[in-house]
Amino acid sequence: MPLTARGEAIFERLPNAAPRTSTGSIGCQIVRHEELCIGCGRCASACPTGATSKGDMFDPMQLYSAPPESRRGALGAALRTIARHQPSGSIAVPDRVAAFRTIVFDAARCIGCGACARACPTGAAEALPVPAAEIASAGMNG
Amino acid sequence: MTSAAAENTRATETEDGAERKIVAFFCRECAYAAADAAGNARVSLPTTIRSVLVPCTGRVSPLHLLKALADGADGVYVAGCLEGQCHYREGNLHALDRIEFARALLESVGVEPERVQMFTMSAADSPKFVAAARKMHETISSLPQLERR
Repeated sequence: MPLTARGEAIFERLPNAAPRTSTGSIGCQIVRHEELCIGCGRCASACPTGATSKGDMFDPMQLYSAPPESRRGALGAALRTIARHQPSGSIAVPDRVAAFRTIVFDAARCIGCGACARACPTGAAEALPVPAAEIASAGMNG
Repeated sequence: MTSAAAENTRATETEDGAERKIVAFFCRECAYAAADAAGNARVSLPTTIRSVLVPCTGRVSPLHLLKALADGADGVYVAGCLEGQCHYREGNLHALDRIEFARALLESVGVEPERVQMFTMSAADSPKFVAAARKMHETISSLPQLERR
């Protein structure tokens, strides 16, 4: 499995680091950056517990914040040109529209495996290591 | 002046006197064939309509629709096969949902959703094709020009 951007950064700092892939670690903290999301849904497909899923709603503000070279960004630029006011909240998405859905993340079901972060092509899902203090309090450092 | 031509001149009148622009995406299998038949029968169409040929309406994405509006069109419509008669099985159903999505987007930013519409017709049904073109023309002519920033 390829490493996340964060994993790559850690390996850059390690001398004699041999492995360039990981088998994934349990207990990462998942941070989502919605402005980078292109709605491909790979995180939802990769998620083993269903904590990340494709929603039924879409927030048009995501079009405005998307990178301009992305498809969402292009649609956002077109929408901004003709808009009379700011988008008035989320809209329902018809069944056959796949790419324009806001990803729903349910933290209660997340086991922190980081599969979504490895599947994400844009870095919108990021897996951060668990803070050392939390590991100590859970008694996992023995 | 024939009655068909008179009908056209009356329909082009808008509140501000300026002619609207409509971009139309026609499916090659149905709507374009119907357009061809209408042309052969020498039926005149509203001059506001600019047609774009697509292999199937399933190719039309929300980006095509909104980009056309952003770049100068006052209305956009898609004409494709009857439901269940798409030559690529489900292309027109995809188009229907994408148009619904584009309309919801327009509504959320305060633009009239009627500016984006979908019509379906069979290849032999050129009267329906002409009726759809005239209906779209009348709808858009009755709306103000689309403002852009």
